[in-house]
Amino acid sequence: MDTYVLGLALSPPHAALRSQRTEEMAFETVRAALDNAGVERTTIDHVTLATSDEMDGRSISSMLMAMPGGAYLKDELRVTDSGLTGLVMGALRVASGRFHLGVVVSWNHTSQIDVDALTRMRAEPFVLRPIGLNGVIADGLFAGAVQHRLGLDDSAVAERIAARRQQAARNPRALQRDADGAGDDAPLAWPLRRGHSAPASDGCVAFVLASGQWLAAHPGHRPLARIAGVASAIDTYRLDGERLGGMALFDQALDEVLKRSGHSADDAIDVAEIEAPTAWHDLAIERHLAERRVVALSPSGGVWAQNPLFCSGLVNAAEAALQVAGRAGDVQVPRARFAVAHGSHGYAQQCQTFVAFERVAA
Amino acid sequence: MSENVAVIGVGQTGFRARWDSMTYVELAQQAAVQALADARLTPDDIDAVVFSMAPTHFMGVPDCDKWAVDFVGARGKPFLRVHTGGATGGSAFQAAWAHVASGQYRRVLVVGADRITETPDAQFVLNLIWDPLYEQDFALNTVTMTALATQRYMARHGVTEEQYARVVVRARRNAMNNPNAHLKGLITVDEVMASKRVAWPYKLYDICPRSAGAAAVVIADERSARELCPRPAFVSGIGAISNTVFMGDRCVPSADCDFAEHAEISLAARECFEQARIDDPASQVQVLELYDPFSSFQFPELESMGFCARGTAARLSDEGVFDMDGRNAVGPSGGTLCTNPIGVTGLVRVADAALQVMGRAGAMQVKGVHNALATAAGGSTQFFTCTLLSDEPRRRATA
Repeated sequence: MDTYVLGLALSPPHAALRSQRTEEMAFETVRAALDNAGVERTTIDHVTLATSDEMDGRSISSMLMAMPGGAYLKDELRVTDSGLTGLVMGALRVASGRFHLGVVVSWNHTSQIDVDALTRMRAEPFVLRPIGLNGVIADGLFAGAVQHRLGLDDSAVAERIAARRQQAARNPRALQRDADGAGDDAPLAWPLRRGHSAPASDGCVAFVLASGQWLAAHPGHRPLARIAGVASAIDTYRLDGERLGGMALFDQALDEVLKRSGHSADDAIDVAEIEAPTAWHDLAIERHLAERRVVALSPSGGVWAQNPLFCSGLVNAAEAALQVAGRAGDVQVPRARFAVAHGSHGYAQQCQTFVAFERVAA
Repeated sequence: MSENVAVIGVGQTGFRARWDSMTYVELAQQAAVQALADARLTPDDIDAVVFSMAPTHFMGVPDCDKWAVDFVGARGKPFLRVHTGGATGGSAFQAAWAHVASGQYRRVLVVGADRITETPDAQFVLNLIWDPLYEQDFALNTVTMTALATQRYMARHGVTEEQYARVVVRARRNAMNNPNAHLKGLITVDEVMASKRVAWPYKLYDICPRSAGAAAVVIADERSARELCPRPAFVSGIGAISNTVFMGDRCVPSADCDFAEHAEISLAARECFEQARIDDPASQVQVLELYDPFSSFQFPELESMGFCARGTAARLSDEGVFDMDGRNAVGPSGGTLCTNPIGVTGLVRVADAALQVMGRAGAMQVKGVHNALATAAGGSTQFFTCTLLSDEPRRRATA
């Protein structure tokens, strides 16, 4: 794709941000991304918001949030699926040739909401809602399926959590925690226990995207990365045995993004930043990637570094872009040239999204 | 350089107060099936699906779009939901356009459904779009919000309630030709004036209904379009704009866009028309499908988009300039005043505009349509989209 990451910013992660309203967090992050890109807001021609009314606690939340998102008198469009979906939409808008310089922004003030209640309300009202399905139970069903299918157990889960915490501790962009929740084996939804999930956090991510045409006209600007490809696929809403743990759409979307990036399934992926809401997901994805040449899997620490639920996939994108730009700091993977960011959303990861980044020649 | 994009199929359920015979997802399915059949395609021919849905607080299922995946043939495909309030349908269509214009996808289905009457009081829900700390405690909702703007416009331009009533009469009359319209009928100005007062200057008939129903549109790249469709409706221009939520900031002399004039849409329309090489919309655009949930929306928007001079739209409306056989046919379908399933209303506008260009609008058909404009509006009348459908691409290359 002829779409480039000109700049990006992540808000400082917080377990519970009390000192700022959501719009202040978004404004400061967009401002930082524009500064990182070296452009003024007046020069952008579009904004893509990725945000959820239900997560924001306000109907049509973009009414308030579009302005701090940089969209005052700009062409603004909003998707509601996930932060990474916003990046896909933003990349397509730039690739359309109609837009040349824009912002993608997503946030989650997670500490302000009751996530379990919200994810229960997501369910259709005839079957799933009456039985109490919510995000935790869906994750538990997934964990149960992959436990059986892949032969995973609690000890492997514990080892994975410890490893991810160690990686996160090295990540300069991570929320440094005091191992909160570690070892919490309170049962949530068998076999999922409370400590198997990374604690949620508050955060915001913003990207500045530019077209190749814009870059040609502004030779003083050097992009962080090229978006080589985007791909996504959504699975059936039914949480049946075929879907749970099968991860067929994960494979399909990954193959598609590689193909669109000009890579084959056998080519090396230097960095894959994956969205794994629980350690069961993390292990399942790792097993799933075993046949592929992935050099580093979630070197950032993944959701254990920060986990602003709605935009965790976009955090992955920021980490992946920084890797190919050689700016990932203490978690930098040597010679990283090609990285993919993964995001998932919907019950038990109904939708799988990938964005591929390539290093831009100096 | 963008790929040329065209509408090649549309589908709409009828719109009514309730659809108790179908679930939400079955409604969406019906529209998708119709649009695919209209485009002579099957779900397997579709590369990606964009779902059009505004606030889910009316129908009560936040993941309604994910629930609909199997029903609209989206399983295994790229899928995303667009939501920009009332402008959602227009934005969803433009999101789908970007999928195809980018060259990444060839055929995209845009589909959505809404059921506003699932909630007993839509205006109570719409009160929740405002700031919880100081705005929600006012009697602020979309009716009172736009009534305030209308009062400002009336004071500025001397427009009367009767002139708005004539807009309602025309819309209901036009809707008689639309088999999908929710409200329709031959009514009089006196009947509009006698309808129940809601918020001055609005009476009940000045306000759109709460509608349930679904709509879908199939778009394709030019090659597919010319292969599959005898007369595609090409997307010759798109524009969108977003303004501040704060209405007071749009009522001061230094405001970039005045609240009463819906002046933001002038920016979106200018961009849209520039792409389509439209220099004089009044003479070049034959049909307008406006997002007009209130009788007061047409005048400021027609003026802001350059169809007439500021302050003249009401007089021209009285003279019949915007009738079916007038210079510019405004709302041949009856428009949003007669049908408002919010999550897809903007998409219905696109579908009805496309049918006019395709020459397949049935009894709604206006003669000699080369260009038809579809708009959408949302938030605190702060989000606007303009989409121009044309009988040929005629799009100017973007700089």
